Amino acid sequence: MTSAPDALVVANSAFLKRFSPYNQMEPEALAFLAEHALLGFFAKGSTVLSPDMGQPRYFYIMQRGKVQANQVGSISVTEYSSLTIGPGESFPIGAISAGRPSTNTYVALEDSYVFQLASEDFLALMRISPVFHLYCTRYIANLLNQSRLQLQTTFSQRAAEQQTMTTPLGHLIKRDPITVSPDTPTRGVLEKMAEMHIGCMVVVDAERRPVGVLTQSDLLPRVVLPAFDLSRPVSEIMTSTPHVLTTTATAYDAALEMATHAVRHLLVVDSSDELQGVVSERDLFSLQRIGLRQIRAGIEGADDIEALQRASKDIRQLALNLIAQGIGAEQLTRFISALNDALTSRIIKLELERHKLFDVDFSWVAFGSEGRHEQTLSTDQDNGIIYSAAKETQEATKQKLLVFAKDVNEALAQCGFPLCKGNIMASNPDLCLTLEEWKRRFGAWIREPNPQALLNASIFFDFRVLYGSEKIGDELHRWLLQNARGNTAFLRMMAQNALTTAPPLGRIRDFVVESDGMIDLKKSGARLFVDVARILSLRGEVASSSTVQRLRLSGQKSGISEEELDAMVEGFHFIQLLRLRAQHIETEHDSPDDNKIDPDTLNELDRHILKEAFRQARKLQLRLKLDYQL
Amino acid sequence: MNWLTRLLPGDHPAANLDPALLEKLEQWRTVPGADLGISHNEKRYVVVNTEATGLDLNRDTLVSVAAISVDRCLVNARNCVQLTLDPDPAAALVALLEFIGKAPVVVFNASVNKQALLNAFDKHLGFEPELEWLDLYWILPSLFNDRHASPARLVEWVESMEIDTFKRQDSLGDAYAVAQLLLAALARATLRGHRTVASLIEMELTRKRLQR
Repeated sequence: MTSAPDALVVANSAFLKRFSPYNQMEPEALAFLAEHALLGFFAKGSTVLSPDMGQPRYFYIMQRGKVQANQVGSISVTEYSSLTIGPGESFPIGAISAGRPSTNTYVALEDSYVFQLASEDFLALMRISPVFHLYCTRYIANLLNQSRLQLQTTFSQRAAEQQTMTTPLGHLIKRDPITVSPDTPTRGVLEKMAEMHIGCMVVVDAERRPVGVLTQSDLLPRVVLPAFDLSRPVSEIMTSTPHVLTTTATAYDAALEMATHAVRHLLVVDSSDELQGVVSERDLFSLQRIGLRQIRAGIEGADDIEALQRASKDIRQLALNLIAQGIGAEQLTRFISALNDALTSRIIKLELERHKLFDVDFSWVAFGSEGRHEQTLSTDQDNGIIYSAAKETQEATKQKLLVFAKDVNEALAQCGFPLCKGNIMASNPDLCLTLEEWKRRFGAWIREPNPQALLNASIFFDFRVLYGSEKIGDELHRWLLQNARGNTAFLRMMAQNALTTAPPLGRIRDFVVESDGMIDLKKSGARLFVDVARILSLRGEVASSSTVQRLRLSGQKSGISEEELDAMVEGFHFIQLLRLRAQHIETEHDSPDDNKIDPDTLNELDRHILKEAFRQARKLQLRLKLDYQL
Repeated sequence: MNWLTRLLPGDHPAANLDPALLEKLEQWRTVPGADLGISHNEKRYVVVNTEATGLDLNRDTLVSVAAISVDRCLVNARNCVQLTLDPDPAAALVALLEFIGKAPVVVFNASVNKQALLNAFDKHLGFEPELEWLDLYWILPSLFNDRHASPARLVEWVESMEIDTFKRQDSLGDAYAVAQLLLAALARATLRGHRTVASLIEMELTRKRLQR
């Protein structure tokens, strides 16, 4: 005779088996669930679970009756605002897997019998049952999708605010105006204009009220041709009664004013006529959408650094627009990457012409995030050169390349790619090497993986050819994979290194923050994925340098399921998207706060998804830990 | 020596009990009695259901008894027993007492279930254990007067509450149905302010008086 507990467990599993995913569940997992599920009852109108109950203690599976889920607060987490849950359905999957309070309130619509699985048993079930795990991962992936949609909506709003022609001029002023007094000698004014790269100088009186302007287009007819005496005051040649609008006038008003009077600059004053700034025709144009094609054409046709600087600004503007249009982090970084590539290539071409290096055989290589196609908006330069030359001319060629590289690095810096603080730049003699030298260098790191070598590997092994012969790059890739794959000691050290930073998930609080209360999304977010992906790709001989490609291709080889890979990739993308978003708000380039995020400022949903993303990173790390017995 | 054997004459059933069983009974006796003032959410109840050869208490004998623990308003599938009286009724009854402890015992229709058990205790162990009894037969109509205003049969309640039963006419199967009725009863009682065992006992008494 079966024991009484067995009989009740069988009765429970007979019930569960009527529903998905339990009908596909592994027998021992179903037995575990049926054994650990406690049956409870909720009278009509009573609350089963609410956010203020804190971290849910139970996972609920409806046996009979109906429960209604209502969203709490103004943030809409999912596309529904309320949802009825009936027999066989369960909640709260997201909250309990993330160990966070539920975002919904669950109220019994009628007298309901509900199975309750203690949260630790829920997590145990996830571990022992791939079917259940998949069911929950899918559910969360669906949440991630919904969150992305929501992020897009937020971006559309922000873009709309930024782009509309009804923006008050006060919001368009970018920097404090540069001014002179009317009695300033003209020479001083011209020197200042040249020094500050401005096309328009405002002349103000003692109360900072504008009394005139001098623009670049005035110089030829008023200064050069008449051979004006530069020691005489600017008041004699300025345009008096300049066109003025108040800070509350809109961009549209400004455009109209400019068109009517055929001027390129307008002065913006406050209510007491004090000068606040200058708005140029260009400021208004940048409000209108900039297309990919135009930027590309702009880059291809640019023949000086100024044109390329403009293009670089357009790229940033485009990135914002693309997010507004709902593009995901993956495509977005690809776009940024493609345009930055075009920009870099153009700079290289321009410099090549100046340096007359037509006969030198070389490739310009990008490392690090640029090498992975994962540039965000605040990536500094990481580049190098692979060249080939006959033995006798090698040193001379290298010297020429270094001089050329220095100019390229400088030009890139002017176009918004800050110089690399670690001097990982092609103008560094250590990074301008022949193919053989690169192989020797890579080989040394692999053979003797000391901490510096491992750090180097994490930067330089993510390389791709940006200009020049792709073949050289391919050969180096092939060589690297062949040599790294066989060296388990090296891979093990890389793995150890990759595991030194754990995802910032807290036991008590949701997130472990740094001393400033922030989470570094690069250091303790994106990099966790990147590091593991690199090792998997080296081991699995995957030549791609992109993290997502590496995860997908090497993951398939080592038997990680599609769904799991999807969840990992989604997690990575979400962190990248948050990084991009943080950088948009901080339009300042390469500021130390880029990549940092204060989790307390995130809304409920973002926190939830971010936590899940970190969990995915932890999962990847765990895999590595198991593989290398660390 | 044992408290039972000390008190009772030599031909009493308890005198012939296996010393191991006597020891268990002694242990059961020392378990603290049920605190009737504790709210349902913190209380353990034990649902008991019997199966006899027939319905005549005087003629028919007890075949099996099932007990399911309802702890803090939750039914735990692992926490139940089904005991057959054959071949060692005394052992089965002692095991039942051990399972119950001093928790309030919940039955449906005490006139059958409680009485059959008390008879068996008396016959095989020689005494009637002191326990708190609750009878859903009387309590349910008070709480769910919207469904059945006067006492109804178990099958009627099961149908009315759409309770999932896996095996009717079996001591465990029916006990499971009664346990689910108890879950509903405790929730409804709490909503109506009857939060303790004592208040349920009071409710049952009132109902019985009303019925007479």
